[in-house]
Amino acid sequence: MYEILEHTADIGFRARGATLEELFEAAAEALTGIVLDTGTVEARERYELSAEGEDRESLLVNWLSEVLYWLDGKRVAFRRFHVRELGPARVTAEAEGEPRNPARHGGKLDVKGVTYHQLRISRRNGEWAAEVFLDV
Amino acid sequence: MARPAKIPVERLDALRHRIPRDERRGMRTDVIVYASDRLLEQIARDLSLQQAINVATLPGIVGHSLAMPDIHQGYGFPIGGVAGTDWESGVVSPGGVGFDINCGVRLVRTDLFADDVRPRIRDLVNQVFRDVPCGTGSESSLKVTKPQLDQVLVRGSRWMVEHGYGDERDAEFTEERGELAGADPDKVSSRAKERGQPQIGTLGSGNHFLEVQFVEAVHDEAAARAMGLEKNRVTVLVHCGSRGLGHQVCTDYLAQMGAAMQRYGITLPDRQLACVPTQSPEGRSYLAAMRASANFAWANRQAILHFLRGSFARIFGKDVRLELVYDVCHNIAKRERHEVDGKMRDVLVHRKGATRAFAPGNPELPPAYRATGQPVLIPGSMGTASWVLVGAEGAMKETFGSVCHGAGRLMSRTAAKKGRDAREVQKKLEAEGILVRSETRDGILEEVPEAYKDVDEVIEVVHEAGLARKVARLRPMGVIKG
Repeated sequence: MYEILEHTADIGFRARGATLEELFEAAAEALTGIVLDTGTVEARERYELSAEGEDRESLLVNWLSEVLYWLDGKRVAFRRFHVRELGPARVTAEAEGEPRNPARHGGKLDVKGVTYHQLRISRRNGEWAAEVFLDV
Repeated sequence: MARPAKIPVERLDALRHRIPRDERRGMRTDVIVYASDRLLEQIARDLSLQQAINVATLPGIVGHSLAMPDIHQGYGFPIGGVAGTDWESGVVSPGGVGFDINCGVRLVRTDLFADDVRPRIRDLVNQVFRDVPCGTGSESSLKVTKPQLDQVLVRGSRWMVEHGYGDERDAEFTEERGELAGADPDKVSSRAKERGQPQIGTLGSGNHFLEVQFVEAVHDEAAARAMGLEKNRVTVLVHCGSRGLGHQVCTDYLAQMGAAMQRYGITLPDRQLACVPTQSPEGRSYLAAMRASANFAWANRQAILHFLRGSFARIFGKDVRLELVYDVCHNIAKRERHEVDGKMRDVLVHRKGATRAFAPGNPELPPAYRATGQPVLIPGSMGTASWVLVGAEGAMKETFGSVCHGAGRLMSRTAAKKGRDAREVQKKLEAEGILVRSETRDGILEEVPEAYKDVDEVIEVVHEAGLARKVARLRPMGVIKG
């Protein structure tokens, strides 16, 4: 679950989840949804993604940078993410999707990078939330 | 959007404002803001002044933390910020360069006039739209192998010229001749290369664009003549950067620097400002990779010029000539020699959304521009105007030879889209003689002129402050939005 946030020059999102794992999945879906039209993506293949970090914030930023690399470098369109393991310094996940096809998946924005700008990960009333801004 | 805290700003004169170093703990120098009262009031609405204060805390900063009149909120550094750090004892900050390393502007003059182009503008824009890949995830028709990509990273524009994608003059009229020394492809990750390999000669998306324009007004005859610009002459302006390659380099080094900063005992108010000593192994590696990315960006803009020549030849015949006026970058960190407090020092000048603006006589400039000063190319928003300036002595004295880079955003993308219809915006611009094409409707709406500050007002500030001089105002006829 996520919503888009405003920034003068760029774009951000607020992602939520009942668990940290769900939060990481929602954040990856938010990023994918900003880059392309996720509704048109079919879950035809599975991909293994992973990232490391020295704390929760850098783990989230590096995780999203990993997703971005797959989207832009490996040219994969994602349908959904499933976090398999989430430790304090490492996340591994399986994602479903297919090779990117601009004609079918559309292209909304090229995201340049994931930033630490006003990055916030919080837990309130049993729900995790994160605010992330992207450079576009 | 986060509301900024009220920051007291002292007025030095009509165009210069100061936030003194005792305003916040940790500041090592003053912040100097170049702005009119109206622009300053707009600037104070977002976090850019707070970010300029944070920049003032960087270890080894020399001179002031500088804010240009087009400044707006960025990540870590404000966009429109300039900071020099001591080359030996200071730090380098990837955030002070940004994700889009060597994002920059290239201005091309044609031997056509507005009346020649106006009747064919639709054909021309459609042809360019076909020839220059743009939009998200676009790939180039120019294919390079991995070893060739490594050569591009070292030789930039020069490699393109040697392989038939331009002429000798193109390299000569590019900042650093399009070949920044000290680049090392081994410091660029395989991920970054993978992202960049299919993208040489692509515009990208976001605020990147390509514009067919004509010279609407000349303000400095001599300087305009040196650049081959005269009233009604048609020019093309290209605004883009190092694409996925540069973005990945920034991501890679930001990830490394978090841990490295702890080792060097550096603490900063904003994680996105991450920096390391310039002379540390991490600092040197970043600079070598940043320079490689800069060369990639110059190769990218050179390839786009090559494609453009093909588009123009197709519409206007093969004798049409497109010559490079100049190519400048506005996201970079460069080692330069500047006078600081009466002493010449080696400084690493971070220009984040700021353009180099060297004054007349500078040996870095091609001989054709030694007497006039370096051409400074300032793209305006879609449908307003772009400017050509030349660097002036004031920039050498006050701003490490730097000025603004654009109009500066005023509105978020979401706000720009609200209540607007892409077709109506397109129609309105067409009525003003500006044809716009974009891969997406959002591409048009997000860049509506109303989303930006008034570029003329920004230019007036740097002109009146003596940082640069106005040469010519360019008016768009056709715009291709990335």
